[in-house]
Amino acid sequence: MASLIPCPHCGKRPKEEFTVKGAVLDRPAADATPNAWMDYVYLRDNPRGRYDEYWHHTSGCRRWLVITRDTATHEIEASRDAALARE
Amino acid sequence: MTSYRLESGGLIDRQSRLSFTFDGKRMLGFAGDSLASALLANGCQLVGRSFKYHRPRGILTAGAAEPNALMTIGQGGRTEPNTRATMQELYQGLEAASQNRWPSLDFDIGSFNSLLSPFLGAGFYYKTFMWPAAFWEKVYEPFIRKAAGLGKASYEKDPDTYEKAWAHCDLLLIGAGPTGLAAALTAGRSGARVILVDEQSMIGGSLLSDTARIGEASATDFVLTAKAELESLSNVTILTRTTAFGWYDGNVFGAVERVQKHVAIPNAKAPVERLWRIVAKQALLATGAEERPLVFGGNDIPGVMMATAMRSYLNRYGVAPGRQVAIFTTNDSGYALALDLEARGIVPVAIVDSRAGGNPAYTGKARIVKGAVVSDAKGGKALSSIVILKDGRTENLKVDALAMSGGFSPVIHLACHRGGKPVWSDAEAAFLAPQQLNGLQIAGAALSTGNGIAACLSEGAAKAAVLVSEMGFACTAASFGAVEGDMSARPEKPLWSVPGVKGKAFVDYQNDVTRKDLGLAVREGYGHVELAKRYTTSGMATDQGKLSNINAIGLLAEARGISPGDVGTTTFRPFYTPVSFGALAGAYHGTHFQPVRKSPLHEWAKKTGAVFVETGLWYRSSWFPRDGESTWRESVDREVLNIRKNAGLCDVSMLGKIEICGKDSAEFLNRVYSNAFLKLPVGKARYGLMLREDGMIYDDGTTSRLSDEHFFMTTTTAYAAGVMNHLEFCAQALWPDLDVRLASSTDQWAQMAIAGPKARTTLEKIVEEDISNAAFPFLAAKEVSLCGGQLHGRLFRISFSGELAFELAVPAGFGESIADALMEAGREHGIQPYGVEALGVLRIEKGHVTHNEINGTVVPGDLGFGKMVSQAKPDFIGKAMVGREGLVSADRPQLVGVLPLDPKTSFRSGSHILAKGAAATLENDQGYITSSAYSPHVGSTIGLALVKSGSTRHGEEVLVWNGLREEFTPARLCNPVFVDQANEKLHV
Amino acid sequence: MSEFRITLRPALGSVTSIVSENIALTPLPEGHVVHVLGKPGDEALAKRLGSLSDGSAHAVRAAGPGQWFIVGNAAKSHADMTALFEALKPDAYGVDQSQGRVRMLASGPMVERMLAKGTAVDLSLTQFPLGHSTTSVIGHIAAHLTRVADDAFEIMVLRGFAESLWDDLAHMSAEFA
Ligand SMILES: [Zn+2]
Repeated sequence: MASLIPCPHCGKRPKEEFTVKGAVLDRPAADATPNAWMDYVYLRDNPRGRYDEYWHHTSGCRRWLVITRDTATHEIEASRDAALARE
Repeated sequence: MTSYRLESGGLIDRQSRLSFTFDGKRMLGFAGDSLASALLANGCQLVGRSFKYHRPRGILTAGAAEPNALMTIGQGGRTEPNTRATMQELYQGLEAASQNRWPSLDFDIGSFNSLLSPFLGAGFYYKTFMWPAAFWEKVYEPFIRKAAGLGKASYEKDPDTYEKAWAHCDLLLIGAGPTGLAAALTAGRSGARVILVDEQSMIGGSLLSDTARIGEASATDFVLTAKAELESLSNVTILTRTTAFGWYDGNVFGAVERVQKHVAIPNAKAPVERLWRIVAKQALLATGAEERPLVFGGNDIPGVMMATAMRSYLNRYGVAPGRQVAIFTTNDSGYALALDLEARGIVPVAIVDSRAGGNPAYTGKARIVKGAVVSDAKGGKALSSIVILKDGRTENLKVDALAMSGGFSPVIHLACHRGGKPVWSDAEAAFLAPQQLNGLQIAGAALSTGNGIAACLSEGAAKAAVLVSEMGFACTAASFGAVEGDMSARPEKPLWSVPGVKGKAFVDYQNDVTRKDLGLAVREGYGHVELAKRYTTSGMATDQGKLSNINAIGLLAEARGISPGDVGTTTFRPFYTPVSFGALAGAYHGTHFQPVRKSPLHEWAKKTGAVFVETGLWYRSSWFPRDGESTWRESVDREVLNIRKNAGLCDVSMLGKIEICGKDSAEFLNRVYSNAFLKLPVGKARYGLMLREDGMIYDDGTTSRLSDEHFFMTTTTAYAAGVMNHLEFCAQALWPDLDVRLASSTDQWAQMAIAGPKARTTLEKIVEEDISNAAFPFLAAKEVSLCGGQLHGRLFRISFSGELAFELAVPAGFGESIADALMEAGREHGIQPYGVEALGVLRIEKGHVTHNEINGTVVPGDLGFGKMVSQAKPDFIGKAMVGREGLVSADRPQLVGVLPLDPKTSFRSGSHILAKGAAATLENDQGYITSSAYSPHVGSTIGLALVKSGSTRHGEEVLVWNGLREEFTPARLCNPVFVDQANEKLHV
Repeated sequence: MSEFRITLRPALGSVTSIVSENIALTPLPEGHVVHVLGKPGDEALAKRLGSLSDGSAHAVRAAGPGQWFIVGNAAKSHADMTALFEALKPDAYGVDQSQGRVRMLASGPMVERMLAKGTAVDLSLTQFPLGHSTTSVIGHIAAHLTRVADDAFEIMVLRGFAESLWDDLAHMSAEFA
């Protein structure tokens, strides 16, 4: 029915405005080991609880966000711009 | 005797008579009546047949929990089955029909199911119809469907409209009884944004049925005064006829407003129902409490009714339930009813109180039988007598109505929608809402059943004051003066098993689940509450156990010798009450089901005679039939041949277009494409392959460098949105240190492919610049001036067809005019429009791939693009994984062409390739045809295929096998380029 | 070859405006829409954009971090557009979206109620003041909203969706018109 995702730029918006990509992981260096790349591309934790995910505010400001979401309760603890969060 | 309308009283307008029909019989009611109250006023107590046993059923409640009085309202496409008569407002001309009876409500053949009841008990789905399996479809299911069921939906189109809407508030109040009203007045006066929702047609809740006095005013006058004040406050929104049905993430509440369900012919411009999504900073649940039935024999006979419901019919609707009324109660609330009855001149024949003690402040004249129960009610289609059991002795009493009250359960459904479980309280003898909910508080009788009107008023006001004060509003709790005649139903020890029961004692009225069924479930090992629900069907269907669950849990607890808290509840999920599919779909059906995306050349294509095809949200031109062409193939063949001979114009505006700007845009492209882009010269276009990190191809397209720091990318139509998201991810999340800025310009440009030997001579008439092969060679790209400088566009020398070809992009609104100009310019050269079908044939002939080939499992090498995977670049998306062992092995599926040996034969896309002589089995599968078409150039069907080691098998004879149609076509693998393998045409 | 007269086909050329006391809906001229691609947090650029606009109220609209739209009712010549792009440098790049985005005006006392049928954005004046802009979905279509008066919003949408959004808005307005 409804679910709101907080965007640091736009405020709370319905999930239909977003595209979720999945776990926030550091992209390995190009020459990293095959195992590091396997982990990055294929392996995912499936935690019950706190989880950092990439969400894209596709039908809004078009920014990629890092959302800290509880997978069990769907409570969202934090939401920040993926680019600006790195600085 | 039966129920009847009293001479006076009630919140009905006796000047406004409404006529309606029930099962075709004409009746009269008044404005302000519910369908249920109007039926009772007409002496109509038999209103339905039960689900399994087809037992006669009457009106049990006056509200949302009604399990029996389910009716079909309306005619044709407006037919609404399973409408609770207790919730349906009466209107002039209303047509109601009872359900689940045949041939008539009065004489129902299905009631013989009662005789079959031994077979229809708990677990009958599991046990009775186990075998033979073939009987399920032919015998059991039709039998069950016919015999057991609710109303039937209409097959006709619903003529009415529905919609959705969002609302925002500081404080949402759910329920407009004493608690909600006090909260609304308190918060409303502070200036906070308040939304007050109530499922009834007017606010007031239980006060509308109460005879108490508040601050010297009658309860009804109190409501009217509050209503006037609330309506005067612009920050308060009152939504009546609105049921809050769910509590969702982000403190969003779902509610459905029945905007026009109380009128015969709705205003066509407004919706009949509106689905609200209410975003609330805080919410207060003021939903009150639901009275519990008592589980005695015959407790479903028409004439047996909940005590509070009887008060509603008396006080709000001016309807008496009968003349010889008995009351069976476990708590004080039955006495309030007794006083109300006596005020109307109906002295109850007995108040049967299960408590030996209990000392209610009752001064009436009714006979009180303490420490007693009603063990059985008797009668067929109407109640005729009851059996009172006291101290082991029974007494028969003639009655025509019986009120029952087994105590109250707080209505906490919504509070449990986000994972919280109800908590059993021995003190309250009830399940209470989970504690400390984020964004939702509970007040009034929904918090404690002992809260009477005075307590509800003060608690609603106090909680609202705290909530809005915390938001920064200056607020003090409203006060309302003394309450006179407040009857609080103090919680008492619940009475689950009524002793001495002889007849069928129903726990779940709607699903025909009896006390015996629950006992059976426990004995057969289905005592767990979730199992018992499925085994007995208790608590299922439209009412979801609003009345029955608590008794079912109590009985399970008794049978298992544990506390109801240990039995627990089944999971409460939205919706609290049924929500129509119409409301859930909102306006999004028919032509509004999904948006239509139109090319800027749509009107041009239309006037040029295009046949359109939906691709995603786009409408694309498929082909342009001419007079005398009787099949699409004729048109497409003509378009294809004409392009190879003269010229054609095709709308390619749907390609994704992305402007890429910034100092690092070349470096950025170098990282998102597998081939090199860093040194692409200004004025040049390049074909690019975009990989996924796993090495598979994601999308392809051309990117042109318009200036040092400005590139223009095209993507495939299907992946336009995805590629934009992907690029933004790369720019923002992966490499935020790069200076690159992206803008989608798909809609800015009308883009046309002009292909064929005469393409240049046609274009030269409108392009100002020199576009000769020397000045504007293959893969040139630049801004051009058009038609004497009237307009500027972008011209690209790229070719999908393999012919001399250009793509011209012009500002969208001028696209039609430019297309007209090009058609005029090319007329002498034989230019014709062509559609996506011809485009498809042309590209298959040229061996160009699309997402038919880029199917998510191919790497560049599979398509012959091995050289487009840069070995020199330090990094790009997909670099690390594209070289994995399995992705470079010699037996990878590789792109090949396929030609039937006999040009008169053909094959279809999706067909599989078998080695010559191999049996048609999946083990022998060599690959499949990804694209196929009839090629007028070749003169036969041609295909592209992904075949194991395909690039080394050109010339090999194979068998094309379509296993679905059992088609076998001998064919030969070949070079996938069927036209101009030397690419000479591209460079003329 | 300049005998071809190039003419504009407005995306909403065939719709009928809604004019009523409570709600009005009308297409706006296909003038200019310039998408400004700056850097997130570039306050100086934001301040400079006003002087590059045609000076009308709310001509510069926020469009996500570091991005703006400069809009106006008059079409810009190719030379004027090029000059504007030059003026934006080196802080920002301009992208001409004059034909890619279509603007319409919704107004009247019921305008918030009407738009609330499509968007989850809180449009009350206190939460969405004059001149404020945002992008959100209206029903199923993403659109850029700007409050241009207490009871008026400009809605800007991708050209390809303009007719579809218009149909939706007209449907949403029906009960008030
Ligand atoms: Zn956003």
